[in-house]
Amino acid sequence: MQNLWDACLRRLERELPAQQFNTWIRPLAVDGNTSEPGSLTLAAPNRFVLELVRERFSGRIEKLFSEESASPVALKLVLARGADGLVRATPTASNVAPAAAKVPHSLERARLNPGFTFDSLVTGKANQLARAAAIQVSENPGISYNPLFVYGGVGLGKTHLVQAIGNFVAAQRPDAKIRYIHAEQYVTDVVRAYQQKSFDEFKRYYHSLDLLLIDDIQFFSNKGRTQEEFFYAFNALVEAHKQIVITCDTYPKEISGMEERLISRFGWGLTVAIEPPELEMRVAIVLKKAEAEAVVLSEDIAFFIAKHIRSNVRELEGALKKVLAYSRFNARELSLDLAKDALRDILNVANRQITVENIQKTVAEFFKLKISDMHSKKRNRNVARPRQVAMALAKDLTQMSLPEIGEAFGNRDHTTVLHACRTIASLRKQDSVMNRDYLVLEQVLKG
Amino acid sequence: MRQLVLGISPPPEPAFEGFVTGRNAELVSRLKALAAGQLAETVVYLWGERGSGRSHLLGATQRAAVHPERLFIADDVDSLDAAAQIALFNRINEVREPGQAPRGTVLAAGSAPPAQLALRDDLRSRLAWGLVYQVHTLTDAEKATYLRDEATRRGLRISDEVVAYLLTHVRRDLPTLVAILAHLDEYSLSRQRPLTLPLVREALGAMQ
Repeated sequence: MQNLWDACLRRLERELPAQQFNTWIRPLAVDGNTSEPGSLTLAAPNRFVLELVRERFSGRIEKLFSEESASPVALKLVLARGADGLVRATPTASNVAPAAAKVPHSLERARLNPGFTFDSLVTGKANQLARAAAIQVSENPGISYNPLFVYGGVGLGKTHLVQAIGNFVAAQRPDAKIRYIHAEQYVTDVVRAYQQKSFDEFKRYYHSLDLLLIDDIQFFSNKGRTQEEFFYAFNALVEAHKQIVITCDTYPKEISGMEERLISRFGWGLTVAIEPPELEMRVAIVLKKAEAEAVVLSEDIAFFIAKHIRSNVRELEGALKKVLAYSRFNARELSLDLAKDALRDILNVANRQITVENIQKTVAEFFKLKISDMHSKKRNRNVARPRQVAMALAKDLTQMSLPEIGEAFGNRDHTTVLHACRTIASLRKQDSVMNRDYLVLEQVLKG
Repeated sequence: MRQLVLGISPPPEPAFEGFVTGRNAELVSRLKALAAGQLAETVVYLWGERGSGRSHLLGATQRAAVHPERLFIADDVDSLDAAAQIALFNRINEVREPGQAPRGTVLAAGSAPPAQLALRDDLRSRLAWGLVYQVHTLTDAEKATYLRDEATRRGLRISDEVVAYLLTHVRRDLPTLVAILAHLDEYSLSRQRPLTLPLVREALGAMQ
């Protein structure tokens, strides 16, 4: 069976790009114990490789089996014993000290946040591939994918993921020389080396690392000298089988102002994306963050926050903090109503944009009038009343003075505005339709 | 013709005492905690419309800070240029970096909530990361109270009629109201006439 696989390996090596072959195919090993007649069992080092091989290469491998062997041979894929990366990673990763504990010296040197572990990373569809790849890299730094290039929008957990790699490796190999650095800081280091003529020392340091985690590489854009230095560091590390992990806000080919030779190198290993989290994952993130704050949060509150804060994880975290702070300040227990109160500012953000023009436009549309009617001298009621409503809204929702409002409504006197405000206030008390219209308009304007 | 001097003496140094809290009680309490070095959060962002008191609060926090050297203040973040945005971005990353005790705090303010700022994405989301507060403007009733208190502080008698007039005839943001009141104070003093509605009309008319 080993001979059959060796023959297939040779053919696959010819067929596939080297990167793909080395990443997915070479790590597979024949598992003699479980192979049965008519089938060949290959063991994958972890679940990630297993699933990808099954999905993308199993058909081709089986075809090669039948071509290389006299009789048809079925392919079976299993996990190598003790190699279940996903399962094993969690307990090990969680051994790393929690955020509140004293930061060990080695982590401080590496600039790692001990709270950023695989264990504390909420996983969902949006990041499962990136997470699996990161675990694979943590287990085999410098061997599996080099570099690991993680890209995605802001606040989606790129930094958490790469620091989790650092923390994992630090826990496994306390002597490993690890460094997490933000690209902007790397640029600063290059500038300093330039000024102090200390490039030798700079190179010695970066080329001696076992694991370099570099965040937000897009900051290298149009910085020629930095890119050159990084190019040397990259080559030195990859040649020495030291791991590089890069994050970026976009995939390699899209980075602007980056040298071609770097872009092509970024694609040497594995490129994985982190997508914005879907609703369920956002709920899970909120619950996890609450847990980290030692707060028991009910699911309906988590759901409310997650439903309204959609853009990124940082905003979710900010919203949760806001709810907790509000609860403590007002000495009120956490509840859905409290969450709504606490987040009212954030959810009603549109009210900052209320201008008199905005009010006139909204009111005109609501009453099916032309905006010019707001300024016109027409006095028939179907025009005058909406105009009065708009004036009253301007008084209530902006900081403008009555003369300013009058001026904005076709140079009317401030007494006209005052009259409008009083009329509408009194009408709202008598006429429920008017009151409803007013409230609807107010709501539309406030967003 | 008489040359009018707009008698606005340099505004007093911003302090928490001079701030009318209104609906901002929670915010003010957080900022006091921040100044006292008792806030766990390392990034605080305030937003509000013009005249809501953002800059006053930043100044008050800075003045009250026990460790002013650990407080990094960025006002009007909306107007930061590219380099300044990166500087603030770096600052936020620094104060959030673990193991650097004491870490310091970034206190920033702008005209809009983080998500609506025309800034770098990575800075915007970082501003949204910490505690975010809207600085609420005062209601007209609170402004009326403030005007009365401010007048009393100046030794100026102000009638309800005049307060109501001011709240409908000039811009109702607090800096404008305070400036107008200072002007009225001087106007009334220089003419040795009490602050009546006719005098207010005259003074405002002369300003225009």
